[in-house]
Amino acid sequence: MAWELIEVAGNLTPFQHSTVDVVAAKIESKVANALIRQLNQVLPLENLRHVKRVRRRVDSGEKSELSIILCLSTGPENCRNGFPEDVQKLVDTYQLSPFIAKVSGYPAMSKEEWQEQCKLWPTSYHPPNEIDGVSGFKEEELPSIFDRMRTAIQLSEQVGNVAIIVDPSSMEIISKAKDKTHQHDASLRNTCARVEAENGCCLAEATEANDDGKLLLSSSHVNNGLNMEVSCMNSWGWMKRSSTEQKTLPSEDGFLWHPLRHAAMVAIENAAERDRILFRTSSSSTTEAKLNGDMENCSDNELAKRLKIDAKDKEQSENEECCSDLSGRNRPYLCTGFDIYLVWEPCTMCAMALVHQRFKRVFYAFPNPNDGALGTVHRLHGEKSLNHHYSVFRIKVPDQYLNGSSDCSEKASSEEAASVGFWFLVFTSLRTVTPVFGSPVI
Amino acid sequence: MEATVFMKLALDQAKFALNNLEVPVGCVIVENGKVISSGSNRTNATRNATRHAEMEAIDDLLREWQSMGLDQTQTAEKFAGCDLYVTCEPCIMCASALSILGIREVYFGCANDKFGGCGSVMSLHENSSLDDLSGGHNPRLRGFKCTGGIMAEEAVALFRNFYEQGNPNGLFYSISEASQTSPSRSAMIFSTHFSSEASQTSPSRPVRSLTVF
Repeated sequence: MAWELIEVAGNLTPFQHSTVDVVAAKIESKVANALIRQLNQVLPLENLRHVKRVRRRVDSGEKSELSIILCLSTGPENCRNGFPEDVQKLVDTYQLSPFIAKVSGYPAMSKEEWQEQCKLWPTSYHPPNEIDGVSGFKEEELPSIFDRMRTAIQLSEQVGNVAIIVDPSSMEIISKAKDKTHQHDASLRNTCARVEAENGCCLAEATEANDDGKLLLSSSHVNNGLNMEVSCMNSWGWMKRSSTEQKTLPSEDGFLWHPLRHAAMVAIENAAERDRILFRTSSSSTTEAKLNGDMENCSDNELAKRLKIDAKDKEQSENEECCSDLSGRNRPYLCTGFDIYLVWEPCTMCAMALVHQRFKRVFYAFPNPNDGALGTVHRLHGEKSLNHHYSVFRIKVPDQYLNGSSDCSEKASSEEAASVGFWFLVFTSLRTVTPVFGSPVI
Repeated sequence: MEATVFMKLALDQAKFALNNLEVPVGCVIVENGKVISSGSNRTNATRNATRHAEMEAIDDLLREWQSMGLDQTQTAEKFAGCDLYVTCEPCIMCASALSILGIREVYFGCANDKFGGCGSVMSLHENSSLDDLSGGHNPRLRGFKCTGGIMAEEAVALFRNFYEQGNPNGLFYSISEASQTSPSRSAMIFSTHFSSEASQTSPSRPVRSLTVF
């Protein structure tokens, strides 16, 4: 089994059949421009911005026939009388014979839906996450996408979630974060070991990548589908933590633990901090935060590209002189255009945070049956009312990659059988897509 | 009425945000009839669109309680006795967060048709623990009581002011036009008559859905 990328559709019923009646009329092409201008002034199609005002139909190659939308229909009777005054004037002036037509009531969410809509009346289609004209991914991106997820899984070390924010245009890692709902990694790992021992599950010692680049993980990581150490999977679990861990000094952010510091939330915070430091303005210069990372060759305008933020690196104070250079230059708007890689599907809180921060694409490896907001329990990315939409992809990780550990193989195979039903359920709700090449020119 | 008293304090927080060129949303957290924490939106200053008023107030509380030595169980008990007053319906993220913390009750001002998590788009306050997947050992899905429409006009007036002064950093939420379905949304009517001004300041944005935060 190879690595695979599957788009998680935002909408389970791709074709919206909801339509709206409008009053339209055939027009001569020579008056089209004048009419469009007048109508857009007096009666703009406020709630139908996706609908094109004019339809052109070509009759057997001869000449084209134009129709224009005059106004919304208020009922069958207003074909005869009861037009708004402005429309009536136009009807009289141009001797139009109005008819009722149906147009799609909602903007298309997919190309297929758009093609369907255009059979009624032409609409415009804007892929939800269009940054560079590509809403999905390019074939040549796949190796690096899988590579990022491999990194995330390795970082997760079988406990907790990991989030990695990447700028796909430069391949730069913007920030990385682990779950920080509990005190620290050491206590986490102990708890995990205890839980697994209680469950009678063997414990894989090695979590580092071995020479083949394969990851040795315990079978509990994936096959039982429930990892209660993942914050998004067990959001309410923080309440049951013991109080024996209280003595340590608070971390730099002032929290010993924090019920809401799921990996995605922490990664966003790190990305925002990076933004504040790199693009320091007079109003935000009071922030005396330190940048986790190294800055090399702070000498020219290419600085932004070369900055590497790596949470694992030693903390270094930033070079303010160089940073001030960047103020106002190509400052990203939040995480617009960025990708985020999550080992586990995010919960509703994290998924909504990703909407707020304007991510372009979300990749996750393992579904979250407890509170997964991007396909498993909810489909937040298909929620039409939101002011931003990202694409969601699930990366299917090969079994060999996850079950490289020999001492767990027996257990794994028996659990594998039990989990087939679960995986099947997951897959039936996913939709495989072909990669999108080039930009849809619409 | 007690709710109005606390909502006024939340509105003060929202005004504070407005004066700092932030999206004007504010909140207070109340325990035993006393305000124990407050917060206002800081998405512009932090460059972090998740720094909503609720998150600010929650973080202040957690810091304080941890400095007092409260552990997780004690913190959960405290939250179970706290109410939140916020000028705008908590978004899906904040409503989830409030559910995770196990807050007792939420009172909000205007509704948030674009991404409200307490009835407008999702109803996270109606979470229940009935479908506990792990047989009780995993506490999950806590709902909370939620009441909207408290001093909604005042909350909306602040959004209008915000748009008159312009959103300098261009961090947006948006709240859509009035909807017939919910009485608490009557306060949103302003968006229709306000839309022309909104479209002048940001011509690329849709006119009928006023971009607010």
